Amino acid sequence: MKCAVLVCSGLDKPLGSLAREVALCAAGQAECEIVCPVLLSNSPGRYEAVLKDLPLAVVDGCGTRCATKLATQLELKITRRMLLPEAVKELGETFEDSLRPGPKAQELALKLALQLVADDEEQEPAPELEAVLFPEPVDLLKVTHGKFVFPIPAEGYFFNENDCWVQVVGSRARIGISDYMQQSLTDITFFEAPDVGRAIAQFDDAGAVESAKAVFDVISPVSGKIVAVNPVLDDTPELINEQPYTGGWLVELELADFDADRELLLTAEEYAVKVKQKAAEASA
Amino acid sequence: MKQTEQVLVIPCSGIGKVHGLISREATYLVTDELAPDQAGTLCLALLVKGDEEALERVRTQPCITIDGCPKACAQKNVALAGGQTDCAFQVLQVLKQHRGAQPGSASGLNEVGWAVARELAELVRDKVTELSGCEVKS
Repeated sequence: MKCAVLVCSGLDKPLGSLAREVALCAAGQAECEIVCPVLLSNSPGRYEAVLKDLPLAVVDGCGTRCATKLATQLELKITRRMLLPEAVKELGETFEDSLRPGPKAQELALKLALQLVADDEEQEPAPELEAVLFPEPVDLLKVTHGKFVFPIPAEGYFFNENDCWVQVVGSRARIGISDYMQQSLTDITFFEAPDVGRAIAQFDDAGAVESAKAVFDVISPVSGKIVAVNPVLDDTPELINEQPYTGGWLVELELADFDADRELLLTAEEYAVKVKQKAAEASA
Repeated sequence: MKQTEQVLVIPCSGIGKVHGLISREATYLVTDELAPDQAGTLCLALLVKGDEEALERVRTQPCITIDGCPKACAQKNVALAGGQTDCAFQVLQVLKQHRGAQPGSASGLNEVGWAVARELAELVRDKVTELSGCEVKS
């Protein structure tokens, strides 16, 4: 896939240098256009034609995600994104701790670049999904703190201390962020979805929610294989604010071992106590 | 020398252009080899994105910028961040003394490119010496 590759500047970290190398390999392999983040920020017009004609792939070297944030700020539509610490881990590789990529790092950069520019049909097709109905919560517990009210579904949902919930139906589960967290983040502008097909462990990252105020890493309450991400959030991320427990769900998984995961999760009542504590600490 | 007392050498991002690569390699030569104690660097994208620590550093530490081209992104962004550039270098200043030379490509420097990067790095090192008031490797 020929695309525009917006890559972080990556000057002072080895993975930043690797990000730059990935972009160069992508340019070599698929005639991609490299977009310099600093020049884009200073002179967006310089890349206007490129960004109009080509899909945009974003490569970030570290969790600061400068390239992603810049694209979000400029309201660019991101077609593909690669966060190198995750991408390298998924390949089962390690990287050299050097700012100047050696032969091994260059080999790794080429693998990552080929993954970045792979045509859609070359990627593993998503499995056919059997539709599962996730019921809406009937009763809500309401935690109040001053003028704030934080609803929590009374039944059918479990929580972790990272303010993420899981709703389980059979062997499938949906996860999302709690009302308390969406209120803390304020206006949500973007959900960085994880790759469908990826297997994650309990408490692994399952994407990130970005708002004008902060970037929040979604910590999965359960282990399993990601089978879907909420398709409407690309266009309407504000659903996470408006319907955090229903329409604003983030990721759907085929569960690996919910009985084991359950032991480390909180019930609605237990989570309500945590929310009360967090709200008090936040306003102290 | 503490990181917060170092002279900051800030190259342009320069991705996809050989002149950008020269600015980056010249910076590494200064911070890793020629003046590792007196000079440090920071990522220009962090500065552009308003990272608090990066902003604080350019506002309080001496800054040298190295730009690959006359767009002078590094120098401009230090100024936008409220910092003061004590000395601004451009790769073209050095490269024009090697008339007609081809320094390599965006993915790697050749012998000429490395010579230009080193020449530039030595100029930067001299400025680091002056700004830090410390003798550095010659």
